[in-house]
Amino acid sequence: MFFSRLIARWKGLALTLLAAIATVWLGVTGQLGLYINPRYYVFTLIMAGIAFVLTIGALLVIPGPGEDDEHDHDHDSHGKPDGRGSDAPDESGAGRRRPLLAFGGSLTALVIVAAAAVALLVVPPSSLTSAAVEQRSLNGSSNTLANAGPPPGSSDDTSAYSVKDWAALIRQGASADDLSGRTATLTGFVTPDADDPDNVFYVARFVVTCCAVDAQPVGVPVYSPGWSSNYATDSWVTVTGQFEANPSVLSAATTVVRPDSLTAVDQPSEPYVY
Amino acid sequence: MLLLISIRVFAPAEWTSWMTDPAKDFVTLSVSVIIESLPFVILGILLSAIVQIWLPAGFLLRRLPRNPVLRRSIISLLGVLLPVCECGNVPLTRGLIVSGLSVADSMAFLFAAPIINPITIITTYQAFGWNDGILISRILGGLLIANLVGFIYSAHPAPQTLLTRGFQAACAVDPHAEHGTRTRRTLISFGRESAAMMPALIVGAGIAGLIQVAVSRNLLITLGSNPLWSVLALMALAFIVAICSNVDAFFILSFGSTFLPGGIVAFLIFGPMIDIKMLALMRTTFTVRTLVQVSVLIAVCAAAIGLAVNLVF
Repeated sequence: MFFSRLIARWKGLALTLLAAIATVWLGVTGQLGLYINPRYYVFTLIMAGIAFVLTIGALLVIPGPGEDDEHDHDHDSHGKPDGRGSDAPDESGAGRRRPLLAFGGSLTALVIVAAAAVALLVVPPSSLTSAAVEQRSLNGSSNTLANAGPPPGSSDDTSAYSVKDWAALIRQGASADDLSGRTATLTGFVTPDADDPDNVFYVARFVVTCCAVDAQPVGVPVYSPGWSSNYATDSWVTVTGQFEANPSVLSAATTVVRPDSLTAVDQPSEPYVY
Repeated sequence: MLLLISIRVFAPAEWTSWMTDPAKDFVTLSVSVIIESLPFVILGILLSAIVQIWLPAGFLLRRLPRNPVLRRSIISLLGVLLPVCECGNVPLTRGLIVSGLSVADSMAFLFAAPIINPITIITTYQAFGWNDGILISRILGGLLIANLVGFIYSAHPAPQTLLTRGFQAACAVDPHAEHGTRTRRTLISFGRESAAMMPALIVGAGIAGLIQVAVSRNLLITLGSNPLWSVLALMALAFIVAICSNVDAFFILSFGSTFLPGGIVAFLIFGPMIDIKMLALMRTTFTVRTLVQVSVLIAVCAAAIGLAVNLVF
């Protein structure tokens, strides 16, 4: 009983503390961009700070599990918010709990706290991988960049174009002829072409609107037979090269970059684009 | 906690290399839902404490008209004043119920507020302007559905049974009768509400991350250009993406002309009311039976509005 009450009272504060510390830590180490769009940094960090202060304050005033608090009506004892408990009574109410159910609820809560601790604090932060690219149709959404650049063929400077900009131009129908004479310098992670993985890979980035959950991959195809012997999927590269019609007969991409140089680089501190 | 932190600091960087890519993505996606939602949940808990503890008893209820339809209309419009997206509205709604608002009226608030909050309206306008009636359909459709849900549940003979027993017990205590200073009560209320909301958030984030890894989005997106299927596919997308209502318009805009406007409207109406994360959060307050009924009702209404938009525009 003592154990159950301890868990019931402290699990929320423990989880808040975990999440707040994880957020601030990511903010301090500059890794918050792995999870959310930079426009939320300030708001997120301020609220994490407030959460931290409130949690410490609450820890100080909440009565210990041994003390009897008549107002502890414990309406939080359903540690099964996923509905697994269906309509089972939430075993709390004003009366005494059934010890077995209470123990089950505490165990669930403990598992949740432990899982959150591992996910938030132990596992090192990382960006999404090519496994997510397969789930989310590469370049399926690059209309977001409809006004990203000048019409193909104009003389505007394209030297600063990113993966996102070039992907938008190609998606809008720019052919190798339209882009001839232009040199692209692209940095992104390597993800294989779905139809011709031996000869073509994409230099890809995730576009993040709000947080990593909504990340959509964009990428520019690169024709480089045998690339996989030198560069691993998900490793980061910088490609410099010119556009040409895709020599691959299997790949669905029409316009590819033929690399003049291809170098492995470290993952940038902000791997996503916004 | 220091021990946990030191594991990440001192362990070799490769120690997670045994994890497969989908497993890594699962953790990344779940953590991202938690980090993104935490500020809004905290804000919602704070607003809830303000309503319960810092406002005089009955401050809100006294001012509402007695006519039930008019009252719910006003309650459903309250969200205009609150820049809180859907995850913050759950603790706030709990606070309103504890303060004495009826369950049906609270539902009108809960389902309308994330759609008509000022940030949502501004971002929807930025994303779509007045094109295809998307903004208007979203606001009016959201208000209509929220009031309809409120109207239907106002006829419920025993509204308390819509709530989980744990939450019923919490409602039975008058927060203004509790002892201690307001600050102390606020902190205790924070501890209590976080104990209800945070496990739900963690579980909701875990399920959302898992579904994202397991379900391919390609199929849903392919269906997006068919008048009927676009509505259903985008509602399914809204359900699994569980994106914050403040920015969902930008998200769906990024798919550009792939989707028909009716599908987009259905996405923008259904997503803020019902998604995987919201169900986990609302489970702290409502019974499973209630949630299933409400989800079906809202899904049918959102689909009907989406189809109507596809036919009209």
